[in-house]
Amino acid sequence: MSPKGLRRDLSLLGWQVLYEQRAFWRNRARAFFAFLFPILFLLIFSSIFHGTTIALGRGRTITYVTYFVPGILAYGVIATTFLNMAISTAVLRDDGVLKRMAGTPLPGWAYVGARIISTLIVTAALTVVTLGVGHFVYNANVRGSTLPGLIATLALGAGAFTALGVGLVRYISNAEAAPAVVNAAILPLTFISGIWFHFHLSSTLSDIAKVFPVRALADGLQHAFNPFTTGSGFEGSDLLTLAIWLVVGCVLMVRFLRNPERA
Amino acid sequence: MSAIEVNDLRKSYGQFEAVRGISFSVELGEVFCVLGPNGAGKTTTTEILEGYRTRDSGQVSVLGFDPAGGPRGLRERVGIVLQSCGVQADLSVAELIDMYGRYYHERRSAEELIKIVELDAKRETRARQLSGGQRRRLDLALALVGDPDLIFLDEPTTGFDPHARRQAWSTIRSLCELGKTIFLTTHFMDEAQTLADRVAVMRAGTIVAEGRPDELGGRELRPSEIRFTLPDGHVAAELPSMPGAEVTREGDRVLVATHAVVPTTALITGWAVEQTIELANFSVTRPTLEDIYLELTGEASQ
Repeated sequence: MSPKGLRRDLSLLGWQVLYEQRAFWRNRARAFFAFLFPILFLLIFSSIFHGTTIALGRGRTITYVTYFVPGILAYGVIATTFLNMAISTAVLRDDGVLKRMAGTPLPGWAYVGARIISTLIVTAALTVVTLGVGHFVYNANVRGSTLPGLIATLALGAGAFTALGVGLVRYISNAEAAPAVVNAAILPLTFISGIWFHFHLSSTLSDIAKVFPVRALADGLQHAFNPFTTGSGFEGSDLLTLAIWLVVGCVLMVRFLRNPERA
Repeated sequence: MSAIEVNDLRKSYGQFEAVRGISFSVELGEVFCVLGPNGAGKTTTTEILEGYRTRDSGQVSVLGFDPAGGPRGLRERVGIVLQSCGVQADLSVAELIDMYGRYYHERRSAEELIKIVELDAKRETRARQLSGGQRRRLDLALALVGDPDLIFLDEPTTGFDPHARRQAWSTIRSLCELGKTIFLTTHFMDEAQTLADRVAVMRAGTIVAEGRPDELGGRELRPSEIRFTLPDGHVAAELPSMPGAEVTREGDRVLVATHAVVPTTALITGWAVEQTIELANFSVTRPTLEDIYLELTGEASQ
């Protein structure tokens, strides 16, 4: 492609991001579900368990809020990427919008790229709000030293869950079933992945949770928040799990996009 | 150059042969209509021409492009109105026209488009809140936004009320006046008759007839039909001799099939006046496109 053609396509992508953003925030129900829901959970749970502490073993304890802020951040990332992407893409497919877009000269990569960038913008905004509420309301602070680990975990997690969300649409027979399918895939995992509460799980459940990316994302973020963490906050095993799921997600996403009409 | 050339096109889904070796061509500036019942292969054919589906075999050329895989150069020059194809429902009419317009090198003015499809009053309305008819008009605006040379209209007036259909027809005719080539599918006979320069009738994956709407299936060669009811006490045998006409009974009515409509009508009515008898339910009909269509697609017997 000529540089001029590429520049034009990138400008089309930019415009598309703008329109995707406009459509996202204008749909109040969807914006609430993806964006305000996690923050609402943060406020409720933090108020209920205010002042409780969690024993991490070896005599170390942290406040519940320090544990819960990164947990709910993980849930928020999953909601804005995985849940939102899967549901909205299923709707676009069922409404025939994907087909219509395929009939226009807008290159497929520019459209998909714009949808992904738009989703990541929402995720970034949610991250800032969640961390801001944690910091200013509950004194659960991000530490400068572990910030690199926090960012790496967020980036890999958001990427993996976005790709998985798009890839999952292939297995969603119709848009009405989409919320049920995605929640069935995610909610049980959030409980065994220690997002809401710090459980001492049976080794079986814990082993199951370790295979999936929900725990890896939550654990990676909790690790960065943990005041006892030394170093830059990188949790190698979590990052590896997320990276593997990112690859799986990309494979599923490409498979779906090759033939989006077939459920 | 023809706008569309199709030669021995075939497409199967598993064991089912949806399109069984059809050939036709569409000239530039022509309105070409594919007429046929559901399941005849119209949509499969159209989607192959649009680049949405790949063919099994045969040659296809659309504006000089092979449509398989939907090359971008082709997408720049065609406008597509699909059956029940949605838009980004949270954007307004004006926003959607702007957004889709950006994808094309050649672009029609949004103002002009909104006027053509008569959505002036709805420009700030979100697509979600439009009525069915308004949404179809928006579809048309979005198909025209790139100033296409060729427009595909897949059953463009299905679900329209009679008034909206007339409106859509006049819009489509104004597109022809702009020199656009139009490829239309429909299962309405009157739509084909009103809009098309040429009609191809499809049945079970093949083209069973092709021609101008008034010539289709040898329509101009078929006899017209005169029907009436004789009063009690009179029988068809009393009618005067009518050269070239064929007289049959159809229930309690008499059916006279003839190519010489005017002289035959004069003979029958002259005889009735002479006998001072009333011919109830007197009618003269040409075979309609619908009769031909039903005969060709074998639906009359169903």
